[in-house]
Amino acid sequence: MFLIQRLISVFNVILGVLLLTFLLIHLVPGDPVAVMLGESASSADVDTLRAALGLDQPLFQQFGIYLYKLAHADLGVSIHTQTPIIELLRSRYPATLQLAALALLIGMLVGIPLGIYSALKAGRWQDILVTIISVRLSAMPAFWLGPLLMLVFAVWLGWLPVSGMESPTAIILPALTLGLGLSAILTRMTRTSLLEVLSDDYIRTARAKGLSEFRVMMRHALRAALLPIITILGLQMGSLLAGAVITETIFSWDGVGRLLVESIEKRDYPVTQACVLVVALSYVLVNFATDILYRWADPRVRV
Amino acid sequence: MKKISCWILGFWLLAVLLGTVVKLDPNMIDLNAALSPPSSQHWFGADELGRDILARVLSGVKISMLVAFVVTTVSMLIGLLVGLLAGFYGGKLDKVLMQITDVVMAFPGILLAIAFAAVLGPGIDNLILALSLTSWVSYARLVRGQVLSLRQRQHVQAAISLGAGVPRLLLKHILPLMTSILIVEAAYNLASVMIAEASLSFLGLGIQAPHPSWGGMLRDAVRFMLVAPHYVLIVGLCLMSLILAINLGGDYLRDRWDVRKENT
Repeated sequence: MFLIQRLISVFNVILGVLLLTFLLIHLVPGDPVAVMLGESASSADVDTLRAALGLDQPLFQQFGIYLYKLAHADLGVSIHTQTPIIELLRSRYPATLQLAALALLIGMLVGIPLGIYSALKAGRWQDILVTIISVRLSAMPAFWLGPLLMLVFAVWLGWLPVSGMESPTAIILPALTLGLGLSAILTRMTRTSLLEVLSDDYIRTARAKGLSEFRVMMRHALRAALLPIITILGLQMGSLLAGAVITETIFSWDGVGRLLVESIEKRDYPVTQACVLVVALSYVLVNFATDILYRWADPRVRV
Repeated sequence: MKKISCWILGFWLLAVLLGTVVKLDPNMIDLNAALSPPSSQHWFGADELGRDILARVLSGVKISMLVAFVVTTVSMLIGLLVGLLAGFYGGKLDKVLMQITDVVMAFPGILLAIAFAAVLGPGIDNLILALSLTSWVSYARLVRGQVLSLRQRQHVQAAISLGAGVPRLLLKHILPLMTSILIVEAAYNLASVMIAEASLSFLGLGIQAPHPSWGGMLRDAVRFMLVAPHYVLIVGLCLMSLILAINLGGDYLRDRWDVRKENT
């Protein structure tokens, strides 16, 4: 029942996302086709492109055609290179996925242990230090953390490449840029969640039974404390994907984010539209998946 | 921490005031000083055209703050309207409005703002429009939830049975109880709008040259990082200190008024 309800609402949201991205091109002030082609275009060219994009049809019909084409994996062609957009996405999307996956890994590997450590030392100087650092880190947007990391590790120390995708180590700095911000949030969430659980009755019971502190932590406290983290991870995928737009631009990482920025600079609106759609759909699906995963992992929610 | 954040906020306000009084010119080009490090003449150094970074930082923060305040106000008003209507009337209207907020929230972070800014074109008014169109949803959600719980309160029920009209109910009996929550939300929103604005300007979609903006300055600074690392460091530190101070101010307000026990 729950699954059906969720599926319906996800379907509705996806339909809304499609509608909004479809309408994007109509938000261009004036004539979008003329804007795309620039001032020097002849009116015949403008008409040709308008017909090619289907913009001469009634709005309702346009949306229908848009959906029909989408269902056939046809996102149109780039105005500048005439390449099918689906090809562009196919070549760029894996790079973004790689980056997001590594960033997620870094975020979890740094954030969760630090959060546990911080909760165990609650109130002491170690806890305060971790909290101060994570508050600072989470206030650092990608376009500041990225250049900072680049300056230290690529320019001053020279350990890692400044940008590009040629060497296999090139992914480290962009992934750190995205991952460290995530880890700061995870640290704070893990700390609060664990502290909350540690004050529960059943933890006292476990201790009273004479279980070792290690066992109490591992089997009783952490299992319950880390569950809410799943939801946070899903939601944070969003800022990861949006952050990728900036991070990829800084580090010249050829992913969907950079494709989006390039398409905006060239006023290649069909490509812009497609990039926005793909990122938003990924986010919706990830959140749907975490929702299901959370239900499956936490028996209390199922009841 | 509270004191520090007050100091930083106060410092920035003072700096902006001083910048207005002293009238440093953010657009004065002096190619001899291009990319020069901090000195007695240029306290923060100079950028690639020899423009004084201090003057540009001060002038940039004014524009940024202006944009952030306008966006926060506009999006709060839209969010209030949507939230009040959805929460109070419920039913079909609520369903439709919440469906719309769900769709807006389905776009991660500033992606929708990037998309809007991209199609609307550059310019401060379009920037404000793009950011407002995306940041009202958090207010709408918040207000709707509040209305749903507040309308069950006895004083509201009493007012309803006494025949109070809808505007009176909403404005006199429900809205005043939400002010503290709204102000706290606005404080956090202010910081995130500033980040979003800087992100858009960084991508070249926000405030346009020759107007200085912190995001735009950072973009230039990254290009000259090899020769003038002070540029990126100074602008970045300014930005972070201000964001941090606003966020800590939000924490302070939240603790003081004891709204929402959220520990993010």
